[in-house]
Amino acid sequence: MMSVVDTTASHSTKATPELSSVVIPLLKGVLYQEDNPGLWSSLLILQASVRDYVAVLGLDLMLDEAEGYAFLRSRQNDDEDGQAVMPRLVARRQLSYPVSLLLALLRKKLAEFDAGGGDTRLILSRDEVMELIRIFLPAGSNEAKLIDQVDATLNKIAELGFIRRLRGQGQMVEVRRIIKAFVDAQWLADFEQRLAEYRQQARGPGGDEDG
Amino acid sequence: MALDYATLELLRQNHPAWRLLRAHHAPLVAGFLHRVFIVPNVRNLSQADLVEELEDELFALREQLGAETFPGTAQSYLNDWAENDKGWLRKFYPPGTDDPHFDLTPATEKALAWLEGLSERAFVGTESRLLTLFELLRQMSEGSQTDPQVRIAELQKRRNDIDVEIARILAGDIPLLDDTGLKDRFQQFLQLARELLTDFREVEHNFRTLDRRVRERIALWEGAKGALLEEIMGERDAIADSDQGKSFRAFWDFLMSQSRQEELTRLLEQVLSLPPILALHPEPRLHRVHYDWLEAGEYTQRTVARLSEQLRRFLDDQAWLENRRIMDILHSIESHALALREELPSGDFMTLSETSATVDLPLERPLYRPPLRPFIAEMALDEGDADVDTAALYAQVVVDRAVLTRNIRQELQERSQISLAEVVARHPLRHGLAELVAYLQLACEWPKTAVDDEVQEQVSWRMETGVMRQATLPRIILLRNR
Repeated sequence: MMSVVDTTASHSTKATPELSSVVIPLLKGVLYQEDNPGLWSSLLILQASVRDYVAVLGLDLMLDEAEGYAFLRSRQNDDEDGQAVMPRLVARRQLSYPVSLLLALLRKKLAEFDAGGGDTRLILSRDEVMELIRIFLPAGSNEAKLIDQVDATLNKIAELGFIRRLRGQGQMVEVRRIIKAFVDAQWLADFEQRLAEYRQQARGPGGDEDG
Repeated sequence: MALDYATLELLRQNHPAWRLLRAHHAPLVAGFLHRVFIVPNVRNLSQADLVEELEDELFALREQLGAETFPGTAQSYLNDWAENDKGWLRKFYPPGTDDPHFDLTPATEKALAWLEGLSERAFVGTESRLLTLFELLRQMSEGSQTDPQVRIAELQKRRNDIDVEIARILAGDIPLLDDTGLKDRFQQFLQLARELLTDFREVEHNFRTLDRRVRERIALWEGAKGALLEEIMGERDAIADSDQGKSFRAFWDFLMSQSRQEELTRLLEQVLSLPPILALHPEPRLHRVHYDWLEAGEYTQRTVARLSEQLRRFLDDQAWLENRRIMDILHSIESHALALREELPSGDFMTLSETSATVDLPLERPLYRPPLRPFIAEMALDEGDADVDTAALYAQVVVDRAVLTRNIRQELQERSQISLAEVVARHPLRHGLAELVAYLQLACEWPKTAVDDEVQEQVSWRMETGVMRQATLPRIILLRNR
């Protein structure tokens, strides 16, 4: 639109600006179809070149057409032992136990929600989230502290991008469907294993916790 | 359905429509919902709008009946009516908005229709309904007839009838419907048209129920993978291929055709202008009732499409198997977590990939700069007198950049681009060169500008002394900021 009267014509080198306009947002975060349909359709067209390009950076393009999201994930190359381990471009975030647990519980809620009806948007109130996690927290602690704690955990998860607070209604959160791609069976299995180990350790003498 | 004591008792307890009629606030609920949903034929309303409407209604009622009549707030009433134990409204979040929306449930609609039916009708047409029944019977009997002889005989009989009618009209005998016949038919038309509109909610509700049933079946499936896949394939179009789906599809195709719509518009116009019909004072909305059908149908159509897509996604075997596995793992996670509730692990526990790449460019960081330390001189300020002509302070030429910006914006409202010289021509300079310089500065800061060095433009203004001044500058084009 703006190039109609552009008389300066400074950049004429065709460095596939379309590719840059797709790859850069992908590097910056998850690309949602509903947020930016135009970008989404160019991603679908340029899919192959995007894959080639991000492969150089040690990344894989994860694209879910049905759900309408796409993001980049670090390539798993642990089996090629001859090769030096590449530094990761996509960092791994450390999660505390409550955050991990609530992520798992939200994932479960989403699975149940999908089994229950045709709506796509899972929207929970803070109270409902509280009910989800309450039984897994120490009993008898004071209510206000619990609420603060759950709020802090929710904020953390919102920061990770898996929930979104609804505009104008701070008490309601939407569980973003992207959570499916990150909190997958593999991750949950790891979580379960860690828990089992921890439990073993906690029961044993002297075994306190691992850092 | 047998209307025996047990069934009725169950219905009385559980059916939202009956519950609505028995409710303490039934006149409020029914009256309000009828006014906002049924009368304007609205499919759904946002919470904000609905709260405002109800607030008004409550206010008016409290004025009449006393302040303590309805103790709740509009918001709390709406939430209450949408609760499962009431079930009069469906609360949902449409895609793309954070504001919850409400729609009537089919049960509420039934209760409202029944209440509407309580008022006596001035006249009950029977002839037109008999004719409709007759026509329906004929369609069914003909449509199922497989013997070509019989069908041809039937068609020939009709052709003979038509020939006879043509002959009669040619002979000058034109049979007309009398006023009663017209009214009779019109009333039936009205009733059917209204029922069709109300049916859409029920159709949509049926689709939802169907969807839920299929999902339940899949979720409870305990069997081999092959059988599962077979079942999945069979269910792919469970919604579109049901009786409800097919009938809706046929309705939709019929209504969607351009010629059908034009015909409907023409017929409605013609019928609604007949004197006997005009005497009945039909609602003006009837003129576009087919658009109402279309709108309501489209909404249902979208719901069906979304449900089908959702179901397909849900049935995607990969996702389905993963979901099952996830549920298994989660059970075990929950039991571990329960066991650990008194000794929660502290510190970091799990890791998760971030959703974005971390690009850290050392050269993008600013270089070290010694902090600026303010030097504060301690000295006492003396008061003194000075003989200075302060008039210079007040004689400043002030060029108001806000005004200039507004001038440019105003010009750009009517066109997408304008040259600076044109702006100046339309808004003459009042402060001479200073103002022109301010314009140039604004042009530099303008989000989108283009400069054409090839073309020179003249700008002129009159000084206070009456002298004309002129400036020549390259053409500067300001573009609308969108």
